[in-house]
Amino acid sequence: MVEATGDLIIMGENKKNIFVYLTAVSFSVLLIFLALFIGSSQIGPADISSYIMGSNAVSASTAIIIGEIRLPRILLAFMVGAGLAVAGSVFQAIIRNPMVDPYIIGISAGAGTGVMLALFLGIEITIFNLSSLPAFAFMGAVATVFTVYQLARVGNKLPVLTFLLAGVAVSFILNSLMSFLMVLRTENLQQLVYWLMGSLAGAGWGDIRMILPYFLTALAVIIFYLKDLNILLLGEESAAHLGLNVERTKIILLGAASLMTAAVVSVSGSIGFIGLVVPHIARLIIGPDHRRLIPLAALFGASFLLIADTAARTIMAPIELPVGILTALAGGPYFIYLLRNKSKNIW
Amino acid sequence: MKIMLKTDKIKFSYAREKVLRGIDLEIEAGSFIGIIGPNASGKSTLLKNMSQTLKPESGAVYLDHQLLNDYSSLELAKKMAVVPQDTEVNFNFNVYDIIMMGRHPYQKRWSGLSQEDKKIVKEVMEVTDTLKLRGKLINELSGGERQRVIIARALAQKPDILLLDEPTSSLDINYQGEIYDLLNYLNQEFNLTIITVSHDLNLTAQYCEELLLLKEGRIYAAGPAEEVLTENNIKAVYNAEVLIKTNPISKKPFVTLVPEVNRIKKSKQKDFKIHIIAGGGTAKNWLYKLENLGYQLSIGVLNIGDADWQAAKELGIKMVEAPPFIDISETEIQKNRELIEKADLIILSDLPFGHGNLANLEVLFDYPEKRKILFSNFDIKKRDYIKGKAEKIWNKLLEEDQNIYLLKEKDNLISKIKKLEN
Repeated sequence: MVEATGDLIIMGENKKNIFVYLTAVSFSVLLIFLALFIGSSQIGPADISSYIMGSNAVSASTAIIIGEIRLPRILLAFMVGAGLAVAGSVFQAIIRNPMVDPYIIGISAGAGTGVMLALFLGIEITIFNLSSLPAFAFMGAVATVFTVYQLARVGNKLPVLTFLLAGVAVSFILNSLMSFLMVLRTENLQQLVYWLMGSLAGAGWGDIRMILPYFLTALAVIIFYLKDLNILLLGEESAAHLGLNVERTKIILLGAASLMTAAVVSVSGSIGFIGLVVPHIARLIIGPDHRRLIPLAALFGASFLLIADTAARTIMAPIELPVGILTALAGGPYFIYLLRNKSKNIW
Repeated sequence: MKIMLKTDKIKFSYAREKVLRGIDLEIEAGSFIGIIGPNASGKSTLLKNMSQTLKPESGAVYLDHQLLNDYSSLELAKKMAVVPQDTEVNFNFNVYDIIMMGRHPYQKRWSGLSQEDKKIVKEVMEVTDTLKLRGKLINELSGGERQRVIIARALAQKPDILLLDEPTSSLDINYQGEIYDLLNYLNQEFNLTIITVSHDLNLTAQYCEELLLLKEGRIYAAGPAEEVLTENNIKAVYNAEVLIKTNPISKKPFVTLVPEVNRIKKSKQKDFKIHIIAGGGTAKNWLYKLENLGYQLSIGVLNIGDADWQAAKELGIKMVEAPPFIDISETEIQKNRELIEKADLIILSDLPFGHGNLANLEVLFDYPEKRKILFSNFDIKKRDYIKGKAEKIWNKLLEEDQNIYLLKEKDNLISKIKKLEN
């Protein structure tokens, strides 16, 4: 009898979850199609469908707009949004604090310093057909993660509080370094300003190729450890008593989430609030179990950034807004709402 | 008997502060041990060293005859479950999911829930009475319910030994009993070895088979509650004056703190000594008031276990005591005289008289010069259980003694004393 009612609860839950996922997936697919239509040049549904079918009836310029401009940008928005949301979920779970985002340990400051350094030194190395900016951003981000890790590590342990504080300290140092470089070199800073505000303008297949290996590696690691992430939510001590190797799991997961953030930040600049807000919305809908939460957060983050980016490139066309402005505009009020309603149910 | 857990001279320090200074222990399988001791005596630290949350600086811990260090974390989780002090779960999992996490050491990374997992979780939910909570979110539960869920999760690990750190410290008294009843049941029914750390002496004394009293990182006393919870031990370890009574139902020792009136008394103590002759609870209601006003009190002769005796003991009043049910002996009368001689005033309460305590009345003849307050609110005839003998003495006393003040209204006692004092 009890067994029966128990299974009923779980079956009811399952039905709800399937519904949530079906909706989220169809919504995302729909968004991708919509985003393909929208832009400064008018491209009709017929052209797009024939492009997708691979027919030659599309003009060369249309093919270039769809295939080389819009499609990579849409895919990149998808990756960046998903990456930030997944990394945010992991950070929030390990640090067990809902007010944490993936930039908290100074990754964006590190990437920004990398960009500034490249501009300042006038280095124009091209790696994989790329302008040097994303490459420098990536190196800056990874160097920051590595430094913070080393600073916070006590023996083979990584105390979360030390990790956070080391991140905050490093980020302050890097921010002042960046400001100092900006003072020294005042001309031609528009690129940096755009980068700092977060933008996907000019994204191409090269960006995707550059970050894809890191993105997929980090994602695979996080997926592998999803169950452990749930156990970690019980608190480090309880998790250890359940047989989890807490320190190792924490170091691996923080590393993966940091790598993922570094990868997406290098191509998008610091797009704020997705990593903070999206995990919350997903958690409210599907609960705290990471095996269900992470995929949904990824879909939500991707859709959210795609909508914001499409808006950013169209609402003031031909001027492009940095998408970071829009995400912050939407995310800021929600963050305030969270602060005002700080209750136990925040998770 | 099989030894479940053994510690061999374990020492541990936080930074430079030595917390454990060599603990040797052997805990038999199926026992229910309570670790007690004052703050910073090392009781939680000891538990953490036993459960590998902390590693001892020197010495070793053996679980089931194998070094704790030789267990992998998963193997250990199958043998030992721990309920830590802070069991707050920030995330809103439902009860079923939380308890199912106890199966983690048995599950492969990608496998779903096995039939065995489901069966065991259902069993532990029945035992801990959490079945009805299964669909609820963890944050919706009361403190007692949550603690039962956490214990259920620990049981889902199918451990041989369960360690709990202050399992009831944040709970109301009704939940405290509930949790210990549950632990007791688990111990009796499934022969589960249980070690619990607590600062609640009485709760542990009621339930645990044996207590371990720690002082400054060493074992001060170990054994059944009656042997460990003695007034001397508590005085030595906690530096507190206590009274050990016996719980009438469980026959286990029960600790009551003696209020530290002595400290207050010293600051406003008067140079006026009062000796009280009472019994049968006739003085307990005003003893505290007099004590608080700063009079130097003495009392006697009282039967051990009498209500006035308990009150005087709790207040720490100088006292002559005698075993109950037999006549007061010559030695005790002599001791009582010594106290009376020092007194400025004698108070005789409206106590009943029998063979046993008649000497308490007769002694007054020897001090005609001392002032006395005699309660007369309750007719002596009705208090006389020896056929007029006490009444005769009473009347004779009233005739001969010039220093007697009869008190008709109990409430006027204090104003009367104040008048006599000046």
